[in-house]
Amino acid sequence: MRSDTTGFWTPVALSADLPAGTVIPARMAAGTIALWRSQTGHIAASADRCPHRGMSLSHGFVRGEVLSCIYHGWSYGRAGNCLRIPAHPGLTPPDAIRVVTHDVRDTGGIVWVASGIPAGDPPDLDGFTPLRSLTADADRAALALAAGAQADEDGRLVTNIAGQDLCLLLADQPEGRTLIHVLVRSGSDAAARIAASRSVERLRRMAESASHKGGVQ
Amino acid sequence: MKLYDYILSPSCYKVRLMAALAGIKLDLRAVDFHPGLEHRGPDLLSLNPAGSIPILEDGDLVLTESSAMLAYIASLSAPEWLGRASAMETAREQQWLAFSSRLTATLGGARLHEMLLRPGDIAALQAGGVASLRELEAGLVEQRLAGQAFLVTDRPTIADIACFPYVALAPDGGVSLDPYPAIRLWSRAIRSLKGFIEMPGIHRLHELKPEPHLEQDEA
Amino acid sequence: MTAQTTLQQAMPHQAPPHQAPPHQAMIDEWYPVGLVSQLDRSGRHTALMGEPIVVSGDDAGNPLVTGGNGRILPVKVRYGHVWSSLGTPTKDIFSIPEADQPGRRFVDVGVVRVRCSPLRAVENFLDIAHFPFVHTDVLGAEPHTEVQNYTAEIRADVDEVWATQVKFYQPQASKSASGGITTEYMYRVPAPTCSVLYKTCPPRPSEWDVITLFVQPLAEDLCDVWPWMALFDDETSMTDLIHFQQMIFLQDRSILENQIPRLLPLDPGMEIPTRADLTSIAYRRWLKRHDYTYGAQLVAR
Repeated sequence: MRSDTTGFWTPVALSADLPAGTVIPARMAAGTIALWRSQTGHIAASADRCPHRGMSLSHGFVRGEVLSCIYHGWSYGRAGNCLRIPAHPGLTPPDAIRVVTHDVRDTGGIVWVASGIPAGDPPDLDGFTPLRSLTADADRAALALAAGAQADEDGRLVTNIAGQDLCLLLADQPEGRTLIHVLVRSGSDAAARIAASRSVERLRRMAESASHKGGVQ
Repeated sequence: MKLYDYILSPSCYKVRLMAALAGIKLDLRAVDFHPGLEHRGPDLLSLNPAGSIPILEDGDLVLTESSAMLAYIASLSAPEWLGRASAMETAREQQWLAFSSRLTATLGGARLHEMLLRPGDIAALQAGGVASLRELEAGLVEQRLAGQAFLVTDRPTIADIACFPYVALAPDGGVSLDPYPAIRLWSRAIRSLKGFIEMPGIHRLHELKPEPHLEQDEA
Repeated sequence: MTAQTTLQQAMPHQAPPHQAPPHQAMIDEWYPVGLVSQLDRSGRHTALMGEPIVVSGDDAGNPLVTGGNGRILPVKVRYGHVWSSLGTPTKDIFSIPEADQPGRRFVDVGVVRVRCSPLRAVENFLDIAHFPFVHTDVLGAEPHTEVQNYTAEIRADVDEVWATQVKFYQPQASKSASGGITTEYMYRVPAPTCSVLYKTCPPRPSEWDVITLFVQPLAEDLCDVWPWMALFDDETSMTDLIHFQQMIFLQDRSILENQIPRLLPLDPGMEIPTRADLTSIAYRRWLKRHDYTYGAQLVAR
């Protein structure tokens, strides 16, 4: 875990897993956010809680350029301001009704969300392409042990399994879990991609098994 | 075609959903599963000694396994929902149909325990549910890498319908779906199908329709 | 993240005898703990406000409720349910005069467990603005989302929360409704975890259908919900009536399990109500006034 900067980027999802017009929950170390992409492709991240009655916004829906809560349809723009309260169609919602938003970037096929104010851009992925994301019930140390390599301060771990280079982007989750984004060398064919997906399943199993035996401190 | 049905049963919903997608009208006979336990009563046990629902009756045919009902409905009026184009499709369809019973046993058991207070070892049911979801997620990832959006091929089949309900309702049993992006995309693709119907616990995708506005004279 | 309570975790807790229990006001209330029709000798092993209880019936069908240390708890039978209390109730169970009216059908909808505060479950029941989004094409539909002005008050004479002149457009208001109508509602909260809804009765325009939500608090963030109805409807089968109400409540369940925090915030700064939420505002005020705070969050955390 880095401690040197005022802010940092967390890789929360693959770009391909967030199509236009959808919202998904994304876990940051500090809590859950609602991550959404508008119909025209603009991406946004907000607190995962509608201020009206506390409903999780990641259960909501995206119509056009706004995110709406599933409970009462309260709608929010990308900047977090409330645009519509369906129970009162004639009312312009007061500016004070808003959700906290986070800076978000969509680069290298990964969606990154800012904690604090990061000094620079999200890290470059040098020739790697995202494959899939999965969650391990094991911490970073257990995964490093299973992979035989350490993650750098950005959570990037490069390893070679069965002759194949893999880059794992690790993001800490609550309750000792770790979100793993798996990247393969750009240009890998379908068979190599499927092999990589299976390799990481195996790696996760090893890390979890070690964690549950208490073998990893 | 008569379906002995319970509105909150994901297995009954499979049959209602398949019928809706195939354009078949079912004659629904509501069974008082909860709180009345009618499925364990003498009348329904004489129809299905296993004491489970759904039960599908069509003339002399009585079916008590939902996967068989899906195959029957698709064969009758929606053959494109069967994976029969190759040996591999046939095999994959059978594979996931059989897999769907593991979802019922794990996620379905957890849901009945958490929601309707049926007995069970909740930790084991939930752990089994997570294992099944991980297996499904891995399968869907590999399908996507092969350019296919559904379990058997690039179009939905009865195998998708057999797996969808217990997966979509996993949170009812305290099992989160958050860690499974491929399942999320697949589930969304199924919910977006023309003719898709919901059951309680699966909300309407409101975004599929533009925001409706009141006409002046309606307001 | 709010700590989750399982029933197993909830059961062992009991207020230590040497200190005045918190939530005394709610301890002295009556709560539903089972269906009369399902009483048996083996008993229903459940909980009330964290204390394990057993609800059983003898051969004659008389209910018996025992607490965690084997003590006999007060018991009453009313509205198809067995009611009990951990304390010493000073009042009888609230009255529903319609329960004695000839011609009504009484519907035991059955229990549904929800991982939420019992107070959140009641508040959701008092809300109409969610109908188009959660009960789509049944109790509401876009674009008919507007909540017209209505009246909500705490009635001093009966000490109950009441909302009246509540109107909403509904595509299928009940099992017997054949098309969209504007339905009129009255809501009543006579006990902290119980609500009674009076609703337009299409077959008998001069009467109201009665739909209730009786909530058994298992823990502050876990409850068993027992809906019950007293309807004028001679057409619909009993099972269809049960299923219609179970369908409605199960549509709410996934909302209730995803509200943050799980407890009902009574700090006005925590959530933002509008005019459509007048009933909820009155309910929260009434809870606070009576120290009905089991399942509530008093200060923002």
